[in-house]
Amino acid sequence: MKKTLILSALVSLSFAAAQKTVTLPWSGAITGPTSDAGASYAAGVEDYCKYANSQKMLPGITLNCVIRDDQYNNANTQRNFEDFVANLNAPVFLGYATGGALQLKSVIQETKIPTLTASYHIGIIDAPDNTYTFLPVSSYSENIVALLEYVAKKERGAKVALVVNPSPFGRDPVVDARKAAERLGLKITDVQEVGGNNLDNTALLKRLEAQGAKYIINQNTAGPVANILKDAKRLGLLGKMQFMGAHYTGGEDLTKLAGDAAKDFIWATSYYLYDEATQPGIILAKKIGAQFKRAADTIRSVHYTSGMMASAIAIEAMKRAGANPDAAGVYKGLISMNGSRAFNPGFAVGPVTFSARDHIGAESLRLLQADATGNFKAITGAQRSAMFQLVHPMK
Amino acid sequence: MPASRFTQTGNYRTKYQQDQTIFATYAEQLSLIVLIGLLLLLPLILPKTMLRDVNMIMIYAVAVIGLNITTGYTGLINIGQAAFMGVGAYATALAATRLNLPFFLAIPIGGLAGALVGTFVGLPSLRLKYLYLAVATLAFQIIFEWGVGHTPLLAQGGAISLPQVQVLGVKATFFNHNFVWYYLILPVLVVMGLLWRNVLRTKHGRSLIAVRDNDRAAAAMGINPGTAKIMAFMIGSFYAGIAGGLFAYFQKAVVIEDYGLHISIQLLAMAIVGGLGSLPGSFLGPLFIVALDRIVGSGSQWLGSLNIFPAGVDAATALRPLSFGLAIVLFLMFEPRGLANWWRLSRLYFKKWPYKF
Repeated sequence: MKKTLILSALVSLSFAAAQKTVTLPWSGAITGPTSDAGASYAAGVEDYCKYANSQKMLPGITLNCVIRDDQYNNANTQRNFEDFVANLNAPVFLGYATGGALQLKSVIQETKIPTLTASYHIGIIDAPDNTYTFLPVSSYSENIVALLEYVAKKERGAKVALVVNPSPFGRDPVVDARKAAERLGLKITDVQEVGGNNLDNTALLKRLEAQGAKYIINQNTAGPVANILKDAKRLGLLGKMQFMGAHYTGGEDLTKLAGDAAKDFIWATSYYLYDEATQPGIILAKKIGAQFKRAADTIRSVHYTSGMMASAIAIEAMKRAGANPDAAGVYKGLISMNGSRAFNPGFAVGPVTFSARDHIGAESLRLLQADATGNFKAITGAQRSAMFQLVHPMK
Repeated sequence: MPASRFTQTGNYRTKYQQDQTIFATYAEQLSLIVLIGLLLLLPLILPKTMLRDVNMIMIYAVAVIGLNITTGYTGLINIGQAAFMGVGAYATALAATRLNLPFFLAIPIGGLAGALVGTFVGLPSLRLKYLYLAVATLAFQIIFEWGVGHTPLLAQGGAISLPQVQVLGVKATFFNHNFVWYYLILPVLVVMGLLWRNVLRTKHGRSLIAVRDNDRAAAAMGINPGTAKIMAFMIGSFYAGIAGGLFAYFQKAVVIEDYGLHISIQLLAMAIVGGLGSLPGSFLGPLFIVALDRIVGSGSQWLGSLNIFPAGVDAATALRPLSFGLAIVLFLMFEPRGLANWWRLSRLYFKKWPYKF
């Protein structure tokens, strides 16, 4: 009996010793600007990471799920990145903000740490210094070009106005949108910048109305878009103008803030939504959310699903890297996700495909429209924007 | 009793020249040398992430000296110091990437660009005072952010990456970046501090204080208040430009978000908490605010993880601005001379030690 006990203790010890710990780190805004999205995103990253541990997804490896608040401050993001890579030996980095990701590009290139961000800014994967940067889903630019294609199909020669955030996050897609509009025979009447302090948009909307703009495409966060929609409703413009937007404009956040003014808003996103209860990714997200006792609002948020998606891609890449998932192995794991080896965690409307040249994961997206109750229903199937590939060929 | 060069327990200065010395005693000189010696050893004991914070504190200290020159020493409220930093950062980035200049030339170019723009922005100070001037500097901050955001040359506020630097054959890589930059920023800070201490001894430096205290009286004494004000903006912005250039290299890329209005407010908070019109305060303010930021940052994350607040109440996010606001209000109410006064009192205590009086 004594011998058996000693033997089993030794076996347990040897198993514990064989179990390797690998850090999966995320740095983003849990507090501060955009933390409404960031907190849910962080929860998604963390919960999927813990779920992977509980499911023993990586044989012989325990993930150290590190979630750190950078308060949407670039200097803090760099500080966290340095800590993750230099001290925790992380083989991958999950980031958040556009500014932080753009600033880190040269460091990512130098350290060769594969990076996935919550920002879908195309500049993050544009040259130079783009070998190790990846977008989990389609970019904001592709979202907007897809919306333009939809407008062109509906009404050739239509007048379109762009309302964008006054930051690189907002401005960057404008160049591609202009090129696409020209090819699609649409007229961009105006590009206006609107930040988070847009409490009265009367002047903006009257200006767009005077120009005859019928389609208003937003590249912003949900807050400013909700204010525009409420003002458009007050001015009786909701029927006359069709409001649309890229990934961070829509979803639960918009309907919560805009109420019934969000009705008919058209939203481009690559993710499945909470109400699509039969989708395997959504079933899993609900299960994991319940397992880790998340609030109902958190689980409903598309950002919770987005966080899970980033975490799932990183863990799958580690799995493909084998027993020793270092940065080089994770990179190889990522770029192996194509063809028959594409990765489909079920959170997005298409599979995640990466290669040495293709750094956009789930390129497919859908357009969804809000109904009277604020729920978004798909008005197109999963598709890629053909025009986007023409106006922004990836190098 | 003549003033001793070794120790002074009181003010025994009898000549104007004695009043103008940088160091009153050899003990002061020695203490600075010892302090710099200790600072040179600091990277050997500090963890990497903490060394990054020290580098940030030193860069902000250069900017806060500049802000103190305009606001503390000359009394011209400036809410656009981050924009002047930004001018320096972008000028440095362009000099380094477009002209391929080495960092030791690119950073001074950033300082000169800051000074040039600062001189221009300072022109309204000839006509405006107090809050009106503050609004003029605020307008510059807004114009700067808008201007950068609409200039393709400046990547519309997106990132302009800076090349790696090489010093005495040592290349600053990811793993030694904080270490190398510590030894580059520290001498710059010491030189900039001593430079300002020297300028303050000259008639130009004293004219700034005279204008702050009473510009009409200063004019009656033969000082041109307009020239003094423009000069204050020029020197203050030069410091900001140098800080911006250092920050650009230290962060490895220039992004507009690092030079926004919130940073200008933060720099002003550093100057107030440190002590307006004080050189030691320019070091203590950034030290206090960065340390507070770290502590509150950890506190916010902990508060957020508790999940004790109802949905929609983001108390964790509110903690940071609340703490900063509270710190500024408390300092303004109870210690308007800032941490510099605590520093002065503690020095005074040790000066007379072991005698109480």
